[in-house]
Amino acid sequence: MSWHRKNGRLILDRRTLLRGTLGGVAISLALPPLEAMFNTTGTAYALDGILPKRFGLFFWGNGNRPERWIPASTGVGADWDLSETLQPLVNVKQWLTVVTGMDVKLPNDSPHSSGAAGILSGASLGDILDDNSFTEPSIDQVIAQEIGGDTLYRSLETACGGSTGRSFNGPNSKNPPENSPIAFYDRVFGPTFREPGDTEVDPKLGLRRSVLDGVLGQITDLKSQVGSADKARLDQHTEGLRDLESRLAKLQEDPPDLEACVKPNPPAAEYPDIAGRPQMDETNQVMAQMLAMAMACDQSRVFSHWFSDPVNDILFPNAAAGHHDLTHNEGGDQPGVQEITVQSIAAYATLLEAFAAVPEGDGTLLDNCAILGCSEVSLGQTHSILDMPILIGGSACGALKQDHHHQSLGGENASKVLLSLMLAMDINRTDFGTNEGFVDQPLSALFV
Amino acid sequence: MSRYSFSVATMVGLLALSSCGKDEKPYKGAGAGEEPEATSPEPNLRRLTRQQYLNSVSDLLDPGLVMPSALEPDESADGLLSIGAARSSLSPLGVENYEDAAYDLAEQAMEPGSVRDRLIPCNPTGDSDDACARQALEDLGVLAWRRPLTSAEIDDLVDIAGTAGTTLGDFYDGMELAIGYLLQSPHFIYRVEIGEGGVFTDYEMASRLSYFLWNTTPDTALLDAAAAGGLSSADDVAAEVDRMLSDPLARRGFRNLIDEMLELDKLEGLAKDPDVFPAMRSEIGPSSREETLSMVEALVFDRDDDFRTWLTTRETWIDVNLAMIYAVPAPSLDGFATATLPANGPRRGLLGQSSILSMHAHPVSTSATRRGLFVRKTLLCQSIPPPPADVDTSIPEPTPDALTLRERVASHLEEPFCANCHLAMDPIGLALENFDGIGLYRETENGATIDPAGDLDGVPFKTPEEFADVLAANPLFTGCMADTVYAYASGHRPELGETDYAHWLHKRFRDENYSMMALLREVATSETFRTAPEVSP
Repeated sequence: MSWHRKNGRLILDRRTLLRGTLGGVAISLALPPLEAMFNTTGTAYALDGILPKRFGLFFWGNGNRPERWIPASTGVGADWDLSETLQPLVNVKQWLTVVTGMDVKLPNDSPHSSGAAGILSGASLGDILDDNSFTEPSIDQVIAQEIGGDTLYRSLETACGGSTGRSFNGPNSKNPPENSPIAFYDRVFGPTFREPGDTEVDPKLGLRRSVLDGVLGQITDLKSQVGSADKARLDQHTEGLRDLESRLAKLQEDPPDLEACVKPNPPAAEYPDIAGRPQMDETNQVMAQMLAMAMACDQSRVFSHWFSDPVNDILFPNAAAGHHDLTHNEGGDQPGVQEITVQSIAAYATLLEAFAAVPEGDGTLLDNCAILGCSEVSLGQTHSILDMPILIGGSACGALKQDHHHQSLGGENASKVLLSLMLAMDINRTDFGTNEGFVDQPLSALFV
Repeated sequence: MSRYSFSVATMVGLLALSSCGKDEKPYKGAGAGEEPEATSPEPNLRRLTRQQYLNSVSDLLDPGLVMPSALEPDESADGLLSIGAARSSLSPLGVENYEDAAYDLAEQAMEPGSVRDRLIPCNPTGDSDDACARQALEDLGVLAWRRPLTSAEIDDLVDIAGTAGTTLGDFYDGMELAIGYLLQSPHFIYRVEIGEGGVFTDYEMASRLSYFLWNTTPDTALLDAAAAGGLSSADDVAAEVDRMLSDPLARRGFRNLIDEMLELDKLEGLAKDPDVFPAMRSEIGPSSREETLSMVEALVFDRDDDFRTWLTTRETWIDVNLAMIYAVPAPSLDGFATATLPANGPRRGLLGQSSILSMHAHPVSTSATRRGLFVRKTLLCQSIPPPPADVDTSIPEPTPDALTLRERVASHLEEPFCANCHLAMDPIGLALENFDGIGLYRETENGATIDPAGDLDGVPFKTPEEFADVLAANPLFTGCMADTVYAYASGHRPELGETDYAHWLHKRFRDENYSMMALLREVATSETFRTAPEVSP
C-alpha cells in the first residue's frame, strides 16, 4: 500500500485499491478505513472498490450494406466470426457485441432524420418539414442525466468532418459536438485540468460561483414573465449553469489521483482538408485517444462521438463522390459505399482500441464501458430502418456478454437495445421510447 | 406550434403550387392602403445569434478586443438562424462557452489602457471602491442589458465587484467579475422583449430596431430616445429608422439578413472533388460569399434599385478567383472590384453566381433537384416535403441514350408519385444546367448539348437568362422577400393571424417599386412590429 500526504492528511493511493478489483467486482481485499480511501474531493471514484461504468456513443452516417454486414453465425466466442464489413474490429472482437435483426418501428417519414431520431431516442422526429429537432432526448443524454452528475462534465461530445451530431437534451435543445481536436484538448486537459498533487486552488473559482448564483436568480425571475416554451428553454439554460457551478465546486477540491489517468499530449493545432477531403482518420484517432483519457481521468462518464452525420456528403479518401450521393447513385453492389462503411467501422475500432489500451483495475477501461455504435439507417440506398446496424463495445463492468453476435429473428424493436444499455448502466428504468418506439422489455440475451 | 408559411402553406404538390400563384396576382390598381390589424404570436426570448453576440460585445466594450471563437452554434429553423434563435435552447457547452468568453473579454477590457480608461471613468481609491464601481457599472449596464438597471441589480453588481476586488487584491480584477456577470446575464444573452400592456416598451423597441437593422445592440442615441419615451409612435420610430438606414451599420445588418436567408456560411467549408473540378480552389467558397453579399449591398444601398433586378442584373463584384470561374477579365488583381458581366451572356443575377450554383450541387456534380428546391424554398417561400423514405432515389448513370442530366432524371417526372414534387423542382434546376457544380459555364454534358428550356408554373423560358426574367416577374418572389424580411425582423414566419398584414406588406413593397430600403423601413415602422400580445405564462 502506498500513502501520500495531502492537505496535512495521509491519503491512501487509490491505485492500491483499484488493483484489487477484477472485472469491476471487488475481490477479497482488506478495506482500509473509509476516510483514507477517498481523496478530499469525496467524489468516491472507487466507491466500494467498484469502478464506475461509462457510456459512449459512436455514430456514423448513411448506414451499411446489410448483406455484407451480418455475421454468418450467432453465438459467443468461437461460435461466430466477423463479417466482411466488421473485419476492422478483429483486435477488439473479445469486447464486441453485434446485434442484428432489430428494427426501428417508428414511421419513416423523413429519410435519415426519422431513423436517427428512432435509433437514438426511441421517438419520432419533431417536424418533417423542418427536421432539425428530436422530440425526446437522445440515449447519451438520458444516461448522462442518471450517471453524469459526479464528474466535471455531465457528458462530452466530439465529432469529425464538421459533423453537427444528434445529441439532444430535448426538443430544440441540441448538444453541439466539438470538431476541433485542439479545442477539445484545451477544454478537458487545458488550464483547468489539474494533475494529482496540484493543490493550488484558483481564488476566482469561488467568485465565479457567486456570479453564477446571481445569473441563476435572474433566470428564475425571468421565468415568471415568459410563456411555457421559453420556460422550458430557460430550464435547459439553468441546467447548464448548475452543471457549470458544480464543475467549479469540484475544481476547488483536490483532483482525483487515478491509476489509469495520464494527461495526453496536445493534438496538432489544425487538421486542414486535403484536396477537399477532411482528415477523417487522423481526427478520429486523436479524438478517440482524448476521449479514452477523459474517461480514465474521470472528467466525464458519458460521451458521444459523431464520426459522420446522417446524410453526410463527405468526400472520403478515394471515394468517387460524396458519401450520401454514392449511397443513392452508385450502381451494382456499391463498392464505393462499402469502402466508406468499412472506414467508418475502422474508426469505431480505433475508438474501442484506444479504450482497450488503457489498463484499469485488473482489466481495461473498455471493460468498464458500453460503447454503442450505430447509424440512422441500414441500407442507405433505400433509407431502410429495418435490421439496423448495432454494435456494443465493452461489457459495462461485466453486465453484458462480450464477443457475441445476437440475432433477433422476429424483427424486434430497436429501442430494446437502448433499454438494455440503460439497465447495464444500473439505471433503474422499466421502459423506454414513445409510441411505436415504446418498449418495456430489454433484450435479455445481451446480459451475462 | 402551429406554423403557417404565408405565401404558400405546406404544399404537397404541383396543383396546389400553381393555384397559389394565382391567388397572389390580383392586386393591380389600388394602393396597399392602411396597415390592417394583425394577431401576432406571443413574443418570446430570442437568444443573440453568434454574430449578434460578437457585434454587441465589440460595441459595448471595444471592437479591438480579441473576440471569442467558441460560442454555441446557431441553429436554423424555418430557413433562418433568426428564427432558430427564438426556439433553440442553450446547451451545457454553450453555457460554458459564454462563461469563458465573458471573462476572457472582461480581462482584456480591464488591462491597463485606453479601453479601461473609457469604461472606468474614475480613479479607484482601493481594491474595492463602491462609488467608482457603481459609476462604471451603471453606464455599462444600460448598454449591456439594453435598459436601465434596477437599483437592486446595480447593488448586486457593485457587491460582486467589491467582494472580488477585495479577494483578488485589485479593483480592476474585481470589475472583471462584474463585467463577467453582465455578459452572462439572461438580460444580455437573450433579447428580453416581452412587452407591456400590448406594446413593446421604448427600450424593447430600441433593441428590436437595432438588431433588425444593424444586427447589434442599440447605440447611445437609440437608448437616449427610449429614455425620453421617443420610440412609441410611428413617427418617432420612423425618424430613428431613417437615421439607422443611412448609417453604414445598416449595410452590415442587411448583409447578415441575406447571409442567413441564403445560408451562405456553408460556403466556408465548400467541398468539391478537384479531379472533377480542376478549377476549384479553397478560396472560391469564401470569395463567392463575398460576391453575393457585396452585390446585393450595392443594389440596395448604393443604387436602391428595384429588388427584382437581384435576379437579372449583370452588375456584380468579383475578385480574381471568380473572374476565372466567370471567364471575364478580373476587374482588379488585388481583392474585389465592381464588374459588369457580358451583355447578352448567359450569366446574370443571383442564380448566375458561383455561391448559389456550387452550394446547391453535389461535390462531384450538379443537382437539378437541390437547385430547384433552393428556388422553391428560399426564393419563393414554398415548402416541399422530403421524399418518402422507402423509394430508390438514385439517378441512372449516363448512357448513350441519356447523356445529360435532363434525360437521366426524366424518370422523376414520369412516375406520377415522384412527379408530384419533382415537377416543382427539376425543371428549375435544369434551367441552370449550363452552369456546372462550381458555376463554370458549359454548353454540353458528356458531349450532348444541354437543353435548359422549361417553364416555371406554366410560364415558359428557353435559356437561363430568360429563366431569371420569369422568376423575377413572379409575384411569389417579391412576396417571399417581404415575408422573409418580416420573419428575420420578428423571429417567426408570418402566421395565420398575420395573413392580411403580410398581404399588405407585399403591396407596400410593390407600391414602393420594390425598393428594399422602403421594405425595411415599412417593416420597422409598422404597428405590427410594435405590438406585443400578452404572454400567457
